[in-house]
Amino acid sequence: MKKRNACKLFLVMSLSVLLCVACAKKPATTSMEEGYGSGTEAAGTSELDTPAYGAIGESSVGEEGAATEKIPGMGDDIRGLERIHFEFDQYTLTAEAREILARNAQFLQIHNTIRVIIEGHCDERGSDEYNLALGERRARAVKDYMGSLGIPASQMSIISYGEEIPLDPQSGEEAWAKNRRADFKQAN
Amino acid sequence: MRCRLLGFLVLLFLPFSGFAYQLEVRSPGQQAIPLAVTQFPAMEGNPPAEVAREFHEVLSNDLDFCGLFRLVDPGAFLSDAGRLGLESRRVDFEQWRTLGAQALIKGGVSLQGGQVVIEARLYDVLRRRLLTGQRYSGTAKDVRTMAHAFADQILKSMTGDMGPFKAKIAFISDQSGRKELYLMDVDGHEPVRLTDHNAIVLNPDFSPYSKELIFTSYKTGTPDLYRKEIYTGREAKISSQKGLNIAGRFRGDGRAVALTLSKDGNAEIYLIGTSGHILKRLTRNWGIDVDPSWNPDGDKIAFVSDRLGNPHIFVLDVFSLKEERISFAGKYNATPAWSPKGDRIVFSRLEGRTFDLYTVSPDGSDERRLTFGAGNKEHPRWSPDGRFLAYSSDAGGKKAIYIMRADGSGQRRISSSGSNCLHPAWSPRW
Repeated sequence: MKKRNACKLFLVMSLSVLLCVACAKKPATTSMEEGYGSGTEAAGTSELDTPAYGAIGESSVGEEGAATEKIPGMGDDIRGLERIHFEFDQYTLTAEAREILARNAQFLQIHNTIRVIIEGHCDERGSDEYNLALGERRARAVKDYMGSLGIPASQMSIISYGEEIPLDPQSGEEAWAKNRRADFKQAN
Repeated sequence: MRCRLLGFLVLLFLPFSGFAYQLEVRSPGQQAIPLAVTQFPAMEGNPPAEVAREFHEVLSNDLDFCGLFRLVDPGAFLSDAGRLGLESRRVDFEQWRTLGAQALIKGGVSLQGGQVVIEARLYDVLRRRLLTGQRYSGTAKDVRTMAHAFADQILKSMTGDMGPFKAKIAFISDQSGRKELYLMDVDGHEPVRLTDHNAIVLNPDFSPYSKELIFTSYKTGTPDLYRKEIYTGREAKISSQKGLNIAGRFRGDGRAVALTLSKDGNAEIYLIGTSGHILKRLTRNWGIDVDPSWNPDGDKIAFVSDRLGNPHIFVLDVFSLKEERISFAGKYNATPAWSPKGDRIVFSRLEGRTFDLYTVSPDGSDERRLTFGAGNKEHPRWSPDGRFLAYSSDAGGKKAIYIMRADGSGQRRISSSGSNCLHPAWSPRW
């Protein structure tokens, strides 16, 4: 009986969280639409006419789904390997990043059959092409450091996605800090 | 009187110039000529009224944007506006003079065997003569193109230099959920999707002669350079060196491409043939070297390098490999584009928290700021005549394609909202 109640409580809580998310998202979308002037009024109105639940569900899935969905050639996450972060326009490894990479190197020494792809990513600021090059430098800096910790080069490859695959599609310091990163993925 | 005298003097010194007044081609917006654009009456075959209306709207929009003209209010037009007037002797120029118009556009619309035929004329009101006349035929869907073509012709007639309105603008949009390549008219109409890579497509550039584009795509997992024929849809991967194959730019003769490769472990600029073989390595530096842009002669390249710590613009002589820095302010300078006339380089600079557009002489002198206000303005590209710029701005929230005059005036958004649109490239005049 208690278990059931707990279950119900959980359901109610998750529903209210969903509602909260829905409520929080909606004004953001509307205000963005407004910025485009009179040409988009029709589209904005029709979106508001549809039931709130459906409209909000669609837009949030569309946006965030696209950001995290894999593109061809992207590997799967590897449990046990942590991502690291970088400063703006930098590819040097912070002390914290080095600690994480040391743990990652230990993991890869134990699981020495796993081949990893190191992905370099940037925040959205700056030229897309410069960011592709910067992302590659970040991935290479990680690969070189892991190499210095004894991981054979043959176990690692690198790729840059520049600013193309943000973890957080928002603009702002917090999102940017999340997006400047190197991820570890399993090579297929 | 002064005006007439000026006209007379200009006539003396510019005997081959079509229009009675000298036009300063390089500074649109400076000297606006009063121009009357009439809506064309029907001639034969009972054409739908929509044809004349659409032609008038597209033409007026182009001519208004180019900044050379002040459009005379159609509400003030007199009786001659409704008359056909395909020959100068049938036009009542006195009426137009009274309204202050110095140039006049008249014409007629016909439907002949299902074909739309548009006769269009540009007259010099003061000298009472025809400056240019064109006849266009096509389907009802081609009316916009006909209007753009006549706008180009008007610019040619009055300045000696063809307009860029019949050209297209290629761009990247994430409308489908992925970044794909699209093509649209210069006024943002008729967008067409060109790729279905379902990956990340970036940074298109037009071949100067053949109707094809190069761009970077992650279609097979890595950033490789592709070429695509626009009308056949035929596509081929042309550079897939290890690492980056990005930001390809055709040399002016269309026979070579400058791009960034990182096959040797660092982003460097290379020259490759159009089938992808490496012709020459152009930079050799520890820094990131990206975003090449050719001068019209094809012997110099502007590019971005962070070799001095922050991204700055440099100019490189392709033969001597001598490099010269041309941007000195700001901590982040990006995406240079060399003008088709060779005299200016436009680029994007981070100032405070916002990217804005600047131009500078190729020797680094005479820097001017073009844009102000909200939004990051990035990835500027020139129109083929050098009069205008296309760029992206996020002033409205998401990124959108804008166009403006080369002096920064007349900014207008042309891409539709709802998705991010970026990386515009203005096609050659087709």
